[in-house]
Amino acid sequence: MGKRHINNTIRTLRFFHNEMTQEQLAEQVGVTRQTIIAMEKGKYSPSLELAFRIALVFNVPLEEVFSYEAEDDTR
Amino acid sequence: MSFQEKNITASLVNFTLILGFFLISLFQMVQGGHLTSEYVFRLWGIVAILATVGTVAIIIFTHIASGVIHTMKTSEEPHIKGIQDERDTFIELKGTNIAYRVSSIGVALSMLTLVFGQQPLVMFNLLIFFGVVAQIIADISRLYFYRRGF
Repeated sequence: MGKRHINNTIRTLRFFHNEMTQEQLAEQVGVTRQTIIAMEKGKYSPSLELAFRIALVFNVPLEEVFSYEAEDDTR
Repeated sequence: MSFQEKNITASLVNFTLILGFFLISLFQMVQGGHLTSEYVFRLWGIVAILATVGTVAIIIFTHIASGVIHTMKTSEEPHIKGIQDERDTFIELKGTNIAYRVSSIGVALSMLTLVFGQQPLVMFNLLIFFGVVAQIIADISRLYFYRRGF
């Protein structure tokens, strides 16, 4: 099985939602600003509940915020 | 550096100093021919107290220092909210897992010394050593997870 990777468009969505700051988003979904930063940099994949909360803040389906990309195993 | 990272860094420094103190004390005991149960157990007690008091002091100091620095930078009162979220909890648990693994190896090695006929004092000293080393490795791992992600 290849390496799994979850991408997100949080930064873009924040920009198009009145240029919401990381701090504002963090407060709305109940995490720290550092967690939002880590997610945007691809260093952390959120739990399912947190993913849904973020999608709810932006009022978009989950698939518009997060996408799943499986890299091919070349072995 | 986030509040959690500062906390972990301070803890890392604290336990590194405790490890240094323990090793120096042990070396002096061996050099002076004082490797007796009385001195070893006294050292155990000192290390345990230092670890406990040091950890509490670090948490308090980090809170106060963060608040003071925040106020100096922003001229606002510090707002201390629920600081630990799911990512913090996850990283802490990963670190704890690693600490348990290192401690387990330490316990196994300590027991081996008895099998090979060493004094029980060697076992006790190895137990303390690996206990402190486990905490140091756990803190390093947590810092790594905060910086590089997982």
